[in-house]
Amino acid sequence: MSATQPFQISVPQEKIDTLKSKLSQAEFPDELAASGWDLGAPLADVKRLARAWENWDWRQAEERLNKVPQYTTPITVDGFHELNIHFVWQKSEVKNAIPLLFVHGWPGSFLEVLPILPLLAAPGGPAFHIVAPSLPNFGFSSGVKTRGFGAKQYAETCHKLMLSLGYNEYVTQGGDWGFYITRAIGYFYPSHCRASHINMLRADPPTFLKHPTLALQHKLAPYSQKEKDGFARTEWFGKEGRGYFIEQATKPQTLAYALNDSPVALLAWIYEKLHDWTDSHPWTDDEIFTWISIYYFSTAGPGAAHRIYYEFMHPRPDSISREDLHRWIPNVKLGLAYNPKELSVLPKSWCRTLGPVVFESFNESGGHFYATEKPAFLARDLRTMFGKGGGAFKVVKGKSGYDRTPRAYPAKL
Amino acid sequence: MAPTVKPYQITVPDSAIERLKTKLSPTTLPGETTFSNDWKWGAPLDDIKRLVNFWHKNYDWRQAEAELNKLPQFMTTVSVDGHEDALAIHFIHQKSEKPNSIPLLFCHGWAGSFIEVTKILPLLTSGGSDSEQTFHVVAPSLPNCGFSQRTTKPGFGISQYAEVCHKLMLQLGYKNYVTQGGDWGFPITRAMGFLYPSHVLASHLNFILSLPPSPLYTPLLVLQYLTGRYTPAEKAGLERTKWFTAEGSGYNQIQATKPHTPGFALADSPVALLAWIYEKLHDWTDQYPWTDEEILTWISIYYFSDAGADASVRLYYEITHPNGHETQVEGPMNDLMKWNKVPLGLSYFPKDVIVVLSSWGRTLGPVVFEKRHEEGGHFASYEKPDLLASDLRTMIANSGISCS
Repeated sequence: MSATQPFQISVPQEKIDTLKSKLSQAEFPDELAASGWDLGAPLADVKRLARAWENWDWRQAEERLNKVPQYTTPITVDGFHELNIHFVWQKSEVKNAIPLLFVHGWPGSFLEVLPILPLLAAPGGPAFHIVAPSLPNFGFSSGVKTRGFGAKQYAETCHKLMLSLGYNEYVTQGGDWGFYITRAIGYFYPSHCRASHINMLRADPPTFLKHPTLALQHKLAPYSQKEKDGFARTEWFGKEGRGYFIEQATKPQTLAYALNDSPVALLAWIYEKLHDWTDSHPWTDDEIFTWISIYYFSTAGPGAAHRIYYEFMHPRPDSISREDLHRWIPNVKLGLAYNPKELSVLPKSWCRTLGPVVFESFNESGGHFYATEKPAFLARDLRTMFGKGGGAFKVVKGKSGYDRTPRAYPAKL
Repeated sequence: MAPTVKPYQITVPDSAIERLKTKLSPTTLPGETTFSNDWKWGAPLDDIKRLVNFWHKNYDWRQAEAELNKLPQFMTTVSVDGHEDALAIHFIHQKSEKPNSIPLLFCHGWAGSFIEVTKILPLLTSGGSDSEQTFHVVAPSLPNCGFSQRTTKPGFGISQYAEVCHKLMLQLGYKNYVTQGGDWGFPITRAMGFLYPSHVLASHLNFILSLPPSPLYTPLLVLQYLTGRYTPAEKAGLERTKWFTAEGSGYNQIQATKPHTPGFALADSPVALLAWIYEKLHDWTDQYPWTDEEILTWISIYYFSDAGADASVRLYYEITHPNGHETQVEGPMNDLMKWNKVPLGLSYFPKDVIVVLSSWGRTLGPVVFEKRHEEGGHFASYEKPDLLASDLRTMIANSGISCS
């Protein structure tokens, strides 16, 4: 534990200068008339953003971020070199606060936890100690220099982080890669990871062999309108939105040259997702630049993060596949958030095959970046799931989220 | 108002060359890992470093330009229904001196350019012995590529590319002609066979896409397919196709759905462009011994292209979105794989990226020539010009076509 050090982000001036210099020399393509968003990030947006980014003040954003309590600690995952893991750590005053691990995804970062920090710290619900790392190859954590760093390794990193902070048992929250990594944590460390809240849900239809009740429900009850809309959304993503995935999962090195050499390339690549994957979230320029600058200024460089796609799609023989993580994982209590503009929006009967579900929320709005778009919904989910009367109340031994209120003893005379 | 054909010489402005050099230094490259040179992950770091350095310091575009300018190049304009009235089209046109030469349209593909014709050109126009068939060769830069003009309206798809190629041949006085194509040359020349069947004498393909024989259209071939007796070469072809589909089609998926997004990378960063294309020059060929000069000339043509490096990738989107918005699985490509009566020559090269079974290829039309080679890849005209030229000559001899 003594190896854990407080951390402040301090990007070298040279990197900022290089960014500005490259942006000032940016060259842009032309665009087909009236394409809107159909063919990718629109030219007018990217041009405007590139010019604004050149004049934007990273140091101000850095200062703001540094108000959040951040640390680093060395973590060694079996078979790999030591990694310096950067994380946000908001400890509660409540002694019995529930340790909560928040795992971001791509193209997100540790940033995604910030909106829920004050909401979870507010009185009126269970308290949490919140740990939100930068995953290896992302943000201000180390890059991984050898291959084979896949699901198991990401899970191990996060698990060891929690242990190093004294949290032998904990709960998790995640979407995007956070879905896969927290599922893997539940798979590999079931006696430590007691419950998981997930907001991107990938699952298979229930089969009679494995889930007879759900399969029956699935057979008998028609899909609701929301579920039908969900299929349409899922199909849209499958047909129109997976190009980035396949490139990142097959030739990540080729893509890395573009993202490293051209901040405009990085901007367009990520900005397209900030638009397409959200439910009309009104991104401010500040938000966009902060999100993307974290990639640009990341320790491992902007071309490293998406290697996770290759590793997950080419798992080592001793690891698990993505498909394994779509199946029933026992012992880890699950909370599911259904958001209409998520990328895969699957029926309840499918998602309930993921594990013992103790909480569900069905939202009328919101997309892929749940914590960013709907922090109030997410905070509500967590407080309900883990609070008094919730399906995962007291799931962590001795950490109910509430300190014992002193009993009022009648005065003895 | 008739379009005039003018001789053309490539003259990239000095400012463009300077801009390239400015962008090449300093480049920001990815960091090293133990696997940054593993081709499975993409273009290797050491190669890219070396090529960037060479491109920046020693590569001489003016020399490459001078070499290319030895080719007989021309510029004309073509009107395209519903699109540009006078689209500027750059092309190579070399007439053969020999009698009975047949006009041939050579259609390049993506990651390539008109440069793909340069090695096979003398073989086709001057030929081998006196008795061997020769050709008058027309090799355009496709719209949005090389030194042809960039199109601006959505919906400039395969039919439009076919229209440009056909009208170019007519302009040059070639009412009847043979086509040769690989990569985009496949759908474009197939479209020409469907749209202008009385003009296309024969179609030679070195990239063959087709579907399994269907009981409805080609029942006899179905039997062959179902008995599952493949030659070792066909089996290897299927394996290669599987590899390409699983590991090599990321570029295709992104270009076919969100072409504007990678377009920013290709337009802004020569390094991004270099890596994007160089990976294909390696993966798609049969260990072709590219020199650094060749690589950089191929890529410089994209960098210095009139249309911009990003424009060429839009065709992938157009072909999968014939109605503009939604990907159509049963799109134009399926139509182009239906039976067409133009006599066909099929040359299968083992290291191409999709290598189908012979029984599948025969569903495309009346095959008058077919050969499965033992070497060569996707850029057959550049890798194995001798083999391809010989195939073309044999195809003509088999088909009984003569120039009219």
